[in-house]
Amino acid sequence: MQTAENALVPPFQRPPSQVAIRRVASYEADLFELIYETLREFVERDLSEETANKTGEISAAKKSRSLMSVPGKTVLLKPNFVGLDLLGCMNTHPAVIAAAREGFLKLGAERVLIGEGPSMDRDTEAVLESVRLREYAGRLNGGFVDLNIDDVQRVPLKTRASKLKELYFPKTVLGADFVVSMPKLKTHHWAGVTLSLKNMFGIVPGGCYGWPKNVLHWAGIDNSILDINAVVRPDFAIVDGINAMEGNGPIQGTPKQANVLVFGNDPVAVDATCCRIMGLRPEKVKYLAGAGTLLGHLAAQKIEQMGESIATVRTPFAVLADFAGLREDRVGHRGAESTEREGRPQGRG
Amino acid sequence: MPRIFVKNELGTVQFSSGNFLAEICLPFLKSAQNADGGWGFRMGAESRVEPTAWTILALAGLDSQAEIVSGGLRFLRSTQLPDGSWPASPGQTVGCWATSLACWALGHDSESQTALTTGLQWICADWPKDLNFVQRLIRRIRSLAKREVVSQQDDSLRGWGWTPNTASWVEPTAFGLLAVDQAPKDLLPAGAGERQRLAKSMLYNRMCPGGGWNCGNPMVYGVAGDPSIPQTVWALLALRNEPSGEPQTSSLQWLGKSVTGAIGIGSLALAKICLETYGREFVNAENRFRERYERNGFLGNVPAIAWTCLALGGRSGSWLKRGNT
Repeated sequence: MQTAENALVPPFQRPPSQVAIRRVASYEADLFELIYETLREFVERDLSEETANKTGEISAAKKSRSLMSVPGKTVLLKPNFVGLDLLGCMNTHPAVIAAAREGFLKLGAERVLIGEGPSMDRDTEAVLESVRLREYAGRLNGGFVDLNIDDVQRVPLKTRASKLKELYFPKTVLGADFVVSMPKLKTHHWAGVTLSLKNMFGIVPGGCYGWPKNVLHWAGIDNSILDINAVVRPDFAIVDGINAMEGNGPIQGTPKQANVLVFGNDPVAVDATCCRIMGLRPEKVKYLAGAGTLLGHLAAQKIEQMGESIATVRTPFAVLADFAGLREDRVGHRGAESTEREGRPQGRG
Repeated sequence: MPRIFVKNELGTVQFSSGNFLAEICLPFLKSAQNADGGWGFRMGAESRVEPTAWTILALAGLDSQAEIVSGGLRFLRSTQLPDGSWPASPGQTVGCWATSLACWALGHDSESQTALTTGLQWICADWPKDLNFVQRLIRRIRSLAKREVVSQQDDSLRGWGWTPNTASWVEPTAFGLLAVDQAPKDLLPAGAGERQRLAKSMLYNRMCPGGGWNCGNPMVYGVAGDPSIPQTVWALLALRNEPSGEPQTSSLQWLGKSVTGAIGIGSLALAKICLETYGREFVNAENRFRERYERNGFLGNVPAIAWTCLALGGRSGSWLKRGNT
């Protein structure tokens, strides 16, 4: 996990970030092979950077946060589990989580935990059963940590983007050596999009703040996202965009096939890339614009693309009328945004 | 087989299904108690107010558990904040929904009347921060301008929030109602009745279309939200003394159907408690609890185990009295 001290770096001081896009036909694909090979590619890239570096060594700070550091460490996978998902577009698919766990173990991680604190429903066991995690990842008792009821530690907020002065965080998260945000690719009715940064809302413990964590809403969703990620900036992100959600997400939207997994060592760069895949402008997403100033790279020229190009996988997503301004094809059409009606949700079930 | 007894107003009666309770639940709760007398959310976790309150409620009526309960009550008394509230976790200096649960648990203890009195005063003075008149008007105008309804809820009906200065939600509102309802009437502060009236109206207003409750968003952008078992149970229990009407009928119907799905053991226990409180039958309970336990082992969740104890205690348990309403 990146602490506030090394997470907050302005873009001009931050080296380029790497993001990989992989096209995936379905959850039946060999996800372990695909994820492991992609992780290996990141490691190879870091190693080659280390070799190419004239000083002979990659910076210790960067090394400690790269996939090279994983051997012997505790990795925490943070998926996005919301609840019963009949259409398969709301929660991170358990096949992706299980494959990622195997991938990190094969990279040498000593142990890989799966941790989540569902926001709306305190019956975490029901949520886990409904997402079928057990079928893919084995017994739940042991490998899964309910972050809502974990022991907590008080952390003063240094960024103070929101009105909050402090937050309590789960000790499992603060104690993990390497945190991987694993969101679902979705639009969001309040934040515009929900990706690897917004996914970190789920680490804030319901046992301290309730279900939902309404204190974050009152403090401002966009600014709370920044404050949380400034404390616990994910070291890596894997976005499940195979079956995704558009419209009135994160719960009541409609399914959208995007057929991608997006990987990256910078959650801001990963989220920016996902926006571009969805046909949205990341700099227009309020919290992403803020994150681009301190937490990672938003600018495409600072993101080294691996795998597929954005153009080959681009799949425009519908958004609610309030977020019509995010769409790439709305540039110069602001006058029409207020009456934008497309993308209205049809509801689920 | 150990004999487990529960006290009720008619005397002492034996549990209807003592095996699972005696073999699994009670030993777990006993061994999960910390040295400070409290319980954490999981075995070995630091003591917190909420799991301690649930465990006290679960064990309070059992003859054999008096000493354990006494330790829990001591923990609750020692963690009360100067303003009468209780925090969600150690170190926090502001109260929260756990205050309602602590008051409910302390209501069974004659030594805790002072703590209970100040706790009830805090509850009745803790108003949530729902939208004010001007904010509601702005939202209404925006909805009309955009020709879309974001939400149909009435924010003038106020219950309780999870934490101070946040909005009303179904679960803490139900907990607040139950705390006030279960407290000795002579300890209630002035204004308690008005809080109850508003909170009950808020619960009715937040019911999902077709019955049941979720966290408190029955409609979002014109789309109906799905109900959830825990919130439905707490709302129904908080409204159990209300005249039976369509909200109760449709919600109980939804609850009865939902317990056949893939749910956690905690939800299973809560559903059993609620359905039986309303006189509905819950069949094959012991086997269903065993099946869930063998599958996931409670996930170590102390409140879920405490609710299971309450569920297996049957309707004879003294933890949920007729109340003040």
